[in-house]
Amino acid sequence: MSHLSEEQLDQIIAEEKARPQPPLNDWQTIAARARDEGLIRESPSRGWASSQSWVQAAAAVLLLIGGIAIGRTTIGLPTATQNAASLPSENAVPTSAPSVDAAQPSSASATFASLEEASATLDRAVEDYKRATEFLAANNSSGRPSDSAAMYSKRLVALDQVFNATESALQTAPDDPVINQYYLATMGARAATRQMVARPVVLRGF
Amino acid sequence: MSEMPIDQLDLKRAIAGDERAMQRLWSQHAPHIDAVVRRLCGDPELAADVSQEVWMQIFRALPSYRGDSQFGTWAHRIAVNRTLNALRKIRRLAKLEVDIEDDSAMVEMDNDRTFLAESIEQAMTKLSPGARAVFVLHDIEGYTHGEIGEELGITPGGSKSQLFKARAKLKKLLANLMDDSTTVAGKGKAHVAPV
Repeated sequence: MSHLSEEQLDQIIAEEKARPQPPLNDWQTIAARARDEGLIRESPSRGWASSQSWVQAAAAVLLLIGGIAIGRTTIGLPTATQNAASLPSENAVPTSAPSVDAAQPSSASATFASLEEASATLDRAVEDYKRATEFLAANNSSGRPSDSAAMYSKRLVALDQVFNATESALQTAPDDPVINQYYLATMGARAATRQMVARPVVLRGF
Repeated sequence: MSEMPIDQLDLKRAIAGDERAMQRLWSQHAPHIDAVVRRLCGDPELAADVSQEVWMQIFRALPSYRGDSQFGTWAHRIAVNRTLNALRKIRRLAKLEVDIEDDSAMVEMDNDRTFLAESIEQAMTKLSPGARAVFVLHDIEGYTHGEIGEELGITPGGSKSQLFKARAKLKKLLANLMDDSTTVAGKGKAHVAPV
Protein backbone atom coordinates (compact mmCIF):
# COMPACT_ATOMS: atom_id res chain seq x y z
CA MET A 1 0.00 0.00 0.00
CA SER A 2 1.40 3.37 -1.00
CA HIS A 3 0.52 6.81 0.27
CA LEU A 4 -1.32 9.30 -1.88
CA SER A 5 0.53 12.18 -3.40
CA GLU A 6 -0.45 15.73 -2.47
CA GLU A 7 -2.03 16.12 -5.89
CA GLN A 8 -4.05 12.96 -5.52
CA LEU A 9 -5.34 14.09 -2.14
CA ASP A 10 -6.23 17.49 -3.59
CA GLN A 11 -8.15 15.72 -6.34
CA ILE A 12 -10.15 13.73 -3.81
CA ILE A 13 -10.82 16.89 -1.80
CA ALA A 14 -12.03 18.69 -4.92
CA GLU A 15 -14.42 15.84 -5.64
CA GLU A 16 -15.66 15.92 -2.06
CA LYS A 17 -16.32 19.66 -2.29
CA ALA A 18 -18.38 19.17 -5.42
CA ARG A 19 -20.28 16.17 -4.11
CA PRO A 20 -23.93 17.10 -3.57
CA GLN A 21 -25.18 16.23 -0.13
CA PRO A 22 -28.74 16.07 1.10
CA PRO A 23 -29.87 18.16 4.07
CA LEU A 24 -29.42 16.54 7.46
CA ASN A 25 -33.05 17.08 8.44
CA ASP A 26 -36.32 17.38 6.62
CA TRP A 27 -38.13 20.70 6.58
CA GLN A 28 -40.90 19.49 8.87
CA THR A 29 -38.37 18.90 11.63
CA ILE A 30 -36.89 22.35 11.21
CA ALA A 31 -40.33 23.95 10.92
CA ALA A 32 -41.57 22.27 14.08
CA ARG A 33 -38.71 23.74 16.05
CA ALA A 34 -39.11 27.11 14.47
CA ARG A 35 -42.80 27.05 15.29
CA ASP A 36 -42.06 26.12 18.89
CA GLU A 37 -39.76 29.09 19.17
CA GLY A 38 -42.28 31.44 17.62
CA LEU A 39 -40.10 32.01 14.57
CA ILE A 40 -42.88 30.80 12.29
CA ARG A 41 -46.08 32.74 12.60
CA GLU A 42 -49.42 31.94 11.15
CA SER A 43 -49.84 33.62 7.80
CA PRO A 44 -51.99 36.76 8.01
CA SER A 45 -54.81 35.23 6.03
CA ARG A 46 -54.96 32.22 8.30
CA GLY A 47 -54.08 34.07 11.44
CA TRP A 48 -56.85 36.56 11.64
CA ALA A 49 -59.47 34.98 9.51
CA SER A 50 -59.65 31.39 10.49
CA SER A 51 -59.60 31.51 14.24
CA GLN A 52 -62.89 33.18 15.06
CA SER A 53 -65.98 33.46 12.97
CA TRP A 54 -66.86 36.93 14.22
CA VAL A 55 -63.55 38.21 12.92
CA GLN A 56 -64.44 36.78 9.52
CA ALA A 57 -67.79 38.50 9.65
CA ALA A 58 -66.16 41.79 10.65
CA ALA A 59 -63.77 41.45 7.73
CA ALA A 60 -66.66 40.85 5.36
CA VAL A 61 -68.37 44.02 6.53
CA LEU A 62 -65.12 45.91 6.16
CA LEU A 63 -64.84 44.61 2.64
CA LEU A 64 -68.28 45.78 1.67
CA ILE A 65 -67.88 49.19 3.32
CA GLY A 66 -64.48 49.70 1.71
CA GLY A 67 -65.67 48.52 -1.65
CA ILE A 68 -68.80 50.63 -1.61
CA ALA A 69 -67.00 53.72 -0.36
CA ILE A 70 -64.18 53.50 -2.84
CA GLY A 71 -66.50 52.55 -5.65
CA ARG A 72 -68.94 55.38 -5.12
CA THR A 73 -66.27 57.94 -4.41
CA THR A 74 -64.20 57.18 -7.48
CA ILE A 75 -67.08 57.11 -9.93
CA GLY A 76 -68.78 60.17 -8.51
CA LEU A 77 -71.95 58.54 -7.30
CA PRO A 78 -73.65 59.90 -4.19
CA THR A 79 -72.87 58.16 -0.97
CA ALA A 80 -75.38 55.89 0.67
CA THR A 81 -76.64 58.68 2.90
CA GLN A 82 -76.99 61.11 0.00
CA ASN A 83 -78.67 58.45 -2.00
CA ALA A 84 -81.27 57.92 0.67
CA ALA A 85 -81.96 61.63 1.00
CA SER A 86 -82.03 62.79 -2.60
CA LEU A 87 -82.61 59.80 -4.81
CA PRO A 88 -85.43 57.91 -3.21
CA SER A 89 -87.41 57.37 -6.40
CA GLU A 90 -84.65 56.23 -8.69
CA ASN A 91 -84.18 52.90 -7.02
CA ALA A 92 -87.73 52.57 -5.87
CA VAL A 93 -88.40 49.38 -7.73
CA PRO A 94 -91.18 47.41 -6.13
CA THR A 95 -89.64 44.33 -4.65
CA SER A 96 -89.68 42.05 -1.73
CA ALA A 97 -85.98 42.56 -1.13
CA PRO A 98 -85.08 43.66 2.40
CA SER A 99 -85.33 47.34 3.08
CA VAL A 100 -81.99 48.55 4.29
CA ASP A 101 -82.05 51.73 6.27
CA ALA A 102 -79.46 54.05 4.73
CA ALA A 103 -78.98 55.77 8.05
CA GLN A 104 -78.20 52.49 9.71
CA PRO A 105 -74.44 53.06 9.83
CA SER A 106 -75.04 55.60 12.54
CA SER A 107 -75.95 52.72 14.77
CA ALA A 108 -72.34 51.61 14.64
CA SER A 109 -71.92 53.18 18.01
CA ALA A 110 -74.52 50.86 19.44
CA THR A 111 -73.38 48.60 22.20
CA PHE A 112 -73.89 44.87 22.30
CA ALA A 113 -74.54 42.69 25.25
CA SER A 114 -72.17 39.96 24.11
CA LEU A 115 -69.77 38.89 21.42
CA GLU A 116 -72.40 36.49 20.17
CA GLU A 117 -74.89 39.31 19.72
CA ALA A 118 -72.37 41.42 17.84
CA SER A 119 -71.39 38.43 15.76
CA ALA A 120 -75.01 37.70 14.87
CA THR A 121 -75.48 41.33 13.84
CA LEU A 122 -72.47 41.13 11.60
CA ASP A 123 -73.74 37.94 10.05
CA ARG A 124 -77.04 39.61 9.28
CA ALA A 125 -75.22 42.60 7.80
CA VAL A 126 -73.25 40.33 5.50
CA GLU A 127 -76.41 38.61 4.35
CA ASP A 128 -78.11 42.00 3.81
CA TYR A 129 -75.14 43.11 1.77
CA LYS A 130 -75.32 40.08 -0.45
CA ARG A 131 -79.03 40.52 -1.06
CA ALA A 132 -78.65 44.25 -1.66
CA THR A 133 -75.92 43.60 -4.20
CA GLU A 134 -78.06 41.10 -6.02
CA PHE A 135 -80.96 43.52 -5.97
CA LEU A 136 -78.89 46.36 -7.39
CA ALA A 137 -77.45 44.08 -10.03
CA ALA A 138 -80.93 43.16 -11.15
CA ASN A 139 -82.63 46.54 -10.96
CA ASN A 140 -80.25 49.46 -10.95
CA SER A 141 -79.81 50.59 -14.52
CA SER A 142 -79.39 54.30 -13.78
CA GLY A 143 -77.46 56.10 -16.42
CA ARG A 144 -73.72 56.12 -16.46
CA PRO A 145 -71.32 57.25 -19.15
CA SER A 146 -70.57 54.64 -21.72
CA ASP A 147 -66.87 54.88 -20.99
CA SER A 148 -67.31 53.45 -17.50
CA ALA A 149 -65.71 50.16 -18.55
CA ALA A 150 -62.46 51.95 -19.32
CA MET A 151 -62.69 53.81 -16.04
CA TYR A 152 -63.18 50.59 -14.10
CA SER A 153 -60.27 49.01 -15.93
CA LYS A 154 -58.05 51.92 -14.93
CA ARG A 155 -59.23 51.64 -11.38
CA LEU A 156 -58.53 47.93 -11.38
CA VAL A 157 -54.96 48.52 -12.50
CA ALA A 158 -54.51 51.11 -9.75
CA LEU A 159 -56.08 48.84 -7.17
CA ASP A 160 -53.76 46.02 -8.22
CA GLN A 161 -50.85 48.31 -7.45
CA VAL A 162 -52.31 49.27 -4.10
CA PHE A 163 -53.03 45.63 -3.35
CA ASN A 164 -49.43 44.64 -4.05
CA ALA A 165 -48.18 47.44 -1.82
CA THR A 166 -50.48 46.56 1.05
CA GLU A 167 -49.69 42.88 0.68
CA SER A 168 -46.00 43.67 0.96
CA ALA A 169 -46.68 45.92 3.95
CA LEU A 170 -48.63 43.12 5.54
CA GLN A 171 -45.61 40.86 5.31
CA THR A 172 -43.63 43.44 7.20
CA ALA A 173 -46.28 44.08 9.84
CA PRO A 174 -48.62 41.09 9.74
CA ASP A 175 -50.35 41.91 13.02
CA ASP A 176 -50.87 45.61 12.46
CA PRO A 177 -54.63 46.28 12.43
CA VAL A 178 -54.35 49.43 10.30
CA ILE A 179 -52.35 47.64 7.62
CA ASN A 180 -54.82 44.79 7.76
CA GLN A 181 -57.67 47.21 7.19
CA TYR A 182 -55.97 48.80 4.21
CA TYR A 183 -55.26 45.36 2.82
CA LEU A 184 -58.82 44.16 3.28
CA ALA A 185 -60.42 47.32 1.97
CA THR A 186 -58.22 47.18 -1.10
CA MET A 187 -58.97 43.52 -1.61
CA GLY A 188 -62.69 44.21 -1.37
CA ALA A 189 -62.56 47.15 -3.72
CA ARG A 190 -60.53 45.18 -6.20
CA ALA A 191 -62.95 42.28 -6.15
CA ALA A 192 -65.87 44.66 -6.62
CA THR A 193 -64.11 46.45 -9.45
CA ARG A 194 -63.37 43.19 -11.18
CA GLN A 195 -67.08 42.52 -11.17
CA MET A 196 -67.62 45.98 -12.63
CA VAL A 197 -65.16 45.31 -15.39
CA ALA A 198 -66.91 42.07 -16.17
CA ARG A 199 -70.41 43.61 -16.01
CA PRO A 200 -69.96 47.41 -16.17
CA VAL A 201 -73.51 48.25 -17.15
CA VAL A 202 -75.40 46.03 -14.80
CA LEU A 203 -73.47 46.89 -11.64
CA ARG A 204 -72.68 50.52 -12.28
CA GLY A 205 -74.66 51.65 -9.26
CA PHE A 206 -72.38 49.77 -6.89
CA MET B 1 -18.51 30.42 -3.69
CA SER B 2 -21.05 31.77 -6.13
CA GLU B 3 -24.71 31.69 -5.30
CA MET B 4 -28.02 32.99 -6.49
CA PRO B 5 -28.90 36.36 -5.04
CA ILE B 6 -31.38 36.03 -2.24
CA ASP B 7 -34.90 37.17 -2.93
CA GLN B 8 -35.35 40.26 -0.78
CA LEU B 9 -39.07 39.72 -0.53
CA ASP B 10 -38.47 36.17 0.66
CA LEU B 11 -36.09 37.53 3.25
CA LYS B 12 -38.64 40.02 4.53
CA ARG B 13 -41.29 37.37 4.62
CA ALA B 14 -39.02 34.97 6.45
CA ILE B 15 -38.24 37.65 9.03
CA ALA B 16 -41.98 38.16 9.45
CA GLY B 17 -42.35 34.44 10.15
CA ASP B 18 -43.65 33.27 6.78
CA GLU B 19 -43.05 29.52 6.72
CA ARG B 20 -42.93 29.22 2.94
CA ALA B 21 -40.29 31.91 2.65
CA MET B 22 -38.25 30.28 5.41
CA GLN B 23 -38.54 26.94 3.67
CA ARG B 24 -37.30 28.46 0.42
CA LEU B 25 -34.24 29.84 2.18
CA TRP B 26 -33.64 26.48 3.82
CA SER B 27 -34.08 24.54 0.58
CA GLN B 28 -31.65 26.78 -1.25
CA HIS B 29 -28.91 26.77 1.36
CA ALA B 30 -29.32 23.61 3.44
CA PRO B 31 -27.19 21.39 1.19
CA HIS B 32 -24.12 23.57 1.67
CA ILE B 33 -24.80 24.62 5.26
CA ASP B 34 -25.52 21.07 6.38
CA ALA B 35 -22.48 19.77 4.55
CA VAL B 36 -20.10 21.85 6.62
CA VAL B 37 -21.91 20.84 9.78
CA ARG B 38 -21.69 17.19 8.81
CA ARG B 39 -17.98 17.42 8.03
CA LEU B 40 -17.11 19.27 11.21
CA CYS B 41 -19.11 16.93 13.43
CA GLY B 42 -18.02 13.68 11.85
CA ASP B 43 -20.98 11.92 13.46
CA PRO B 44 -24.20 11.95 11.39
CA GLU B 45 -26.55 11.86 14.37
CA LEU B 46 -24.73 14.65 16.14
CA ALA B 47 -24.61 16.59 12.88
CA ALA B 48 -28.39 16.33 12.47
CA ASP B 49 -28.93 17.74 15.96
CA VAL B 50 -26.41 20.50 15.46
CA SER B 51 -27.91 21.36 12.09
CA GLN B 52 -31.25 22.05 13.76
CA GLU B 53 -29.53 24.44 16.16
CA VAL B 54 -27.74 26.07 13.27
CA TRP B 55 -30.93 26.71 11.35
CA MET B 56 -32.72 28.04 14.41
CA GLN B 57 -29.83 30.44 14.90
CA ILE B 58 -29.94 31.49 11.25
CA PHE B 59 -33.67 32.21 11.47
CA ARG B 60 -33.28 34.03 14.78
CA ALA B 61 -30.52 36.18 13.33
CA LEU B 62 -32.29 36.96 10.05
CA PRO B 63 -33.29 40.48 11.14
CA SER B 64 -29.61 41.27 11.66
CA TYR B 65 -28.65 40.27 8.10
CA ARG B 66 -27.79 43.53 6.35
CA GLY B 67 -26.78 42.19 3.00
CA ASP B 68 -23.14 43.20 3.42
CA SER B 69 -22.13 39.73 2.30
CA GLN B 70 -23.93 37.07 0.33
CA PHE B 71 -26.60 35.33 2.36
CA GLY B 72 -24.89 31.95 1.96
CA THR B 73 -21.62 33.35 3.26
CA TRP B 74 -23.37 34.95 6.21
CA ALA B 75 -25.28 31.76 7.02
CA HIS B 76 -22.13 29.70 6.57
CA ARG B 77 -20.38 31.72 9.26
CA ILE B 78 -23.23 31.08 11.63
CA ALA B 79 -23.07 27.38 10.83
CA VAL B 80 -19.34 27.16 11.52
CA ASN B 81 -19.56 29.15 14.77
CA ARG B 82 -22.56 27.24 16.03
CA THR B 83 -21.06 23.87 15.17
CA LEU B 84 -17.74 24.64 16.80
CA ASN B 85 -19.55 25.86 19.92
CA ALA B 86 -21.59 22.68 20.00
CA LEU B 87 -18.45 20.58 19.70
CA ARG B 88 -16.84 22.54 22.51
CA LYS B 89 -19.86 22.00 24.72
CA ILE B 90 -19.65 18.27 24.36
CA ARG B 91 -15.89 18.44 24.75
CA ARG B 92 -15.17 16.96 21.35
CA LEU B 93 -13.20 20.05 20.55
CA ALA B 94 -10.84 20.52 23.46
CA LYS B 95 -8.36 23.34 23.42
CA LEU B 96 -6.59 22.86 20.18
CA GLU B 97 -3.29 24.13 21.44
CA VAL B 98 -3.31 21.24 23.88
CA ASP B 99 -4.26 18.86 21.10
CA ILE B 100 -1.40 20.08 19.01
CA GLU B 101 1.05 19.72 21.89
CA ASP B 102 -0.20 16.17 22.21
CA ASP B 103 0.23 15.61 18.49
CA SER B 104 -3.44 14.86 18.26
CA ALA B 105 -3.56 14.22 14.56
CA MET B 106 -1.48 11.13 15.14
CA VAL B 107 -3.77 9.80 17.85
CA GLU B 108 -5.16 6.39 16.95
CA MET B 109 -2.56 6.00 14.25
CA ASP B 110 -1.75 2.52 15.50
CA ASN B 111 -5.38 1.52 15.15
CA ASP B 112 -5.46 2.97 11.67
CA ARG B 113 -3.02 0.42 10.36
CA THR B 114 -5.91 -1.91 9.79
CA PHE B 115 -8.32 0.83 8.73
CA LEU B 116 -8.54 1.80 5.09
CA ALA B 117 -11.10 4.44 4.24
CA GLU B 118 -13.40 4.07 1.28
CA SER B 119 -14.14 7.76 1.17
CA ILE B 120 -12.66 10.96 2.43
CA GLU B 121 -15.75 11.46 4.57
CA GLN B 122 -15.04 8.16 6.24
CA ALA B 123 -11.38 8.98 6.56
CA MET B 124 -12.13 12.32 8.19
CA THR B 125 -13.93 10.56 11.02
CA LYS B 126 -10.55 9.11 12.01
CA LEU B 127 -9.10 12.58 12.57
CA SER B 128 -9.27 14.17 15.98
CA PRO B 129 -12.01 16.81 16.22
CA GLY B 130 -9.47 19.63 16.20
CA ALA B 131 -7.56 18.30 13.22
CA ARG B 132 -10.79 17.64 11.37
CA ALA B 133 -11.96 21.18 12.02
CA VAL B 134 -8.75 22.66 10.66
CA PHE B 135 -8.78 20.39 7.61
CA VAL B 136 -12.45 21.02 6.81
CA LEU B 137 -12.21 24.76 7.27
CA HIS B 138 -9.01 25.14 5.25
CA ASP B 139 -9.07 22.54 2.52
CA ILE B 140 -12.82 22.28 1.94
CA GLU B 141 -14.31 25.58 3.08
CA GLY B 142 -11.44 27.78 2.01
CA TYR B 143 -10.68 29.54 5.26
CA THR B 144 -7.24 31.04 5.75
CA HIS B 145 -5.07 29.94 8.65
CA GLY B 146 -5.64 33.34 10.22
CA GLU B 147 -9.41 32.91 10.04
CA ILE B 148 -9.15 29.39 11.40
CA GLY B 149 -7.01 30.69 14.24
CA GLU B 150 -9.71 33.20 15.14
CA GLU B 151 -12.46 30.60 14.97
CA LEU B 152 -10.63 27.99 16.99
CA GLY B 153 -8.60 30.18 19.31
CA ILE B 154 -5.27 28.96 18.05
CA THR B 155 -2.37 30.58 16.26
CA PRO B 156 -2.07 30.49 12.47
CA GLY B 157 1.05 28.42 12.94
CA GLY B 158 -0.86 25.93 15.03
CA SER B 159 -3.46 25.71 12.31
CA LYS B 160 -0.79 25.03 9.67
CA SER B 161 0.76 22.35 11.81
CA GLN B 162 -2.55 20.67 12.43
CA LEU B 163 -3.41 20.77 8.74
CA PHE B 164 -0.10 19.19 7.78
CA LYS B 165 -0.68 16.31 10.18
CA ALA B 166 -4.31 15.91 9.11
CA ARG B 167 -3.36 15.67 5.45
CA ALA B 168 -0.58 13.20 6.19
CA LYS B 169 -3.01 10.96 8.00
CA LEU B 170 -5.64 11.26 5.30
CA LYS B 171 -3.15 10.33 2.60
CA LYS B 172 -2.35 7.17 4.46
CA LEU B 173 -5.96 6.31 5.18
CA LEU B 174 -7.02 6.92 1.60
CA ALA B 175 -4.09 5.18 -0.05
CA ASN B 176 -6.12 2.14 -0.97
CA LEU B 177 -8.64 4.35 -2.66
CA MET B 178 -6.12 5.44 -5.24
CA ASP B 179 -4.72 1.90 -5.44
CA ASP B 180 -8.24 0.60 -6.15
CA SER B 181 -8.95 3.28 -8.66
CA THR B 182 -5.74 2.37 -10.44
CA THR B 183 -6.51 -1.32 -10.57
CA VAL B 184 -10.09 -0.86 -11.64
CA ALA B 185 -9.42 2.06 -13.94
CA GLY B 186 -11.82 2.11 -16.82
CA LYS B 187 -14.53 0.35 -14.87
CA GLY B 188 -16.16 3.60 -13.85
CA LYS B 189 -15.39 3.39 -10.14
CA ALA B 190 -15.39 6.77 -8.48
CA HIS B 191 -12.48 7.95 -6.40
CA VAL B 192 -14.77 8.91 -3.61
CA ALA B 193 -17.36 6.33 -2.79
CA PRO B 194 -20.57 7.62 -1.32
CA VAL B 195 -21.16 6.70 2.30
